[in-house]
Amino acid sequence: MTSRFFSIAWQILLLWLVFRCGTYLVALLHLALPGNVAGMLLMFALLASGVVKPARIEAGGGFLLKHFAFFFIPISVGLMAFGGLMRESGLALLGILVLSAAVGVVVTGVSVQFLHARSSR
Amino acid sequence: MNALHFAGLIALTLGAYLVTRRIFLAYKYPLLNPVFLSTLVIIAALKAGGYTLADYQPAKEAMTFLLGPATVALALPLYHNRAVLRNHALPVLIGVIAGSLATMAAALMAGRLLGLGKGVLISLGPKSVTVPIAVEISRLAGGEPTLTAAFVVATGMIGSILGPFALSLSRVKNPVARGLALGTVSHGQGTAVALLEGETAGAMGGVAMAIAALLTALIAPYYLPLFLP
Repeated sequence: MTSRFFSIAWQILLLWLVFRCGTYLVALLHLALPGNVAGMLLMFALLASGVVKPARIEAGGGFLLKHFAFFFIPISVGLMAFGGLMRESGLALLGILVLSAAVGVVVTGVSVQFLHARSSR
Repeated sequence: MNALHFAGLIALTLGAYLVTRRIFLAYKYPLLNPVFLSTLVIIAALKAGGYTLADYQPAKEAMTFLLGPATVALALPLYHNRAVLRNHALPVLIGVIAGSLATMAAALMAGRLLGLGKGVLISLGPKSVTVPIAVEISRLAGGEPTLTAAFVVATGMIGSILGPFALSLSRVKNPVARGLALGTVSHGQGTAVALLEGETAGAMGGVAMAIAALLTALIAPYYLPLFLP
């Protein structure tokens, strides 16, 4: 139990280091990417090249991914500040966001499913 | 803000998450999205207790500290699903590009039809990409970064609730297609829902998020003006 706790904590520290490297690289190279996405690509390169074995980050990474949704709760609470705007033109904005999200989801979903089926043959 | 308040706000958030996660896992119904339900409960509790968003800020900082390493961890499902990328690189790329262009066009055209001002329209443009990039795109294009951040978070919520419905209605069952669609439109929040659907969908959410972010940052300066008055 305790050894599992420590391996999770240690692995999260490792992931955090890769995240910091990603942030640093983005700043250094002036990339149009956020540091966390750059870190994800860097981590993928480390795994794909065999430098880091997946088992080295599986416990910590698995824990964070299992609770990935959690991190968006405190962020979403920030919507509280936009009560005024929502009262004024909330309905129009909501309509736009709903419509455009539906369009995007369906366009990507349908096109990938169609092309994926064709390239699988 | 004392330590007791700080701990209380974290306990409130954690408690809301753990309960709503249970509810979601029991019923697996998109409207019971744990982020959506928890946010409603927390905002209601903050308002009832006379707290402002500023009071919540230190707790938020502490709780989102691990979002960076969590996003890095998306490399794991991506690695396990690398065969999908190798064998279907073109469908993946085409799908994410088409969805990104379509959602931006739909938002701006609808906004223009409803008579929104230029500043609001520009702020709507990058709503489907992750906050740090969206804010930067908006600022460079002459939008309002705080407004964009709100649109991004709202889109994350809307897409992760409505997305699974829309996909099922249009008979999209393939987990690769579902994950890509959710990640393209609703960035990290869509990816979180995709992860709840399964590992392959989750991996594709991460991929879509990265491609959509890069693409939108590159083309927004040329693409958005096409739809402006």
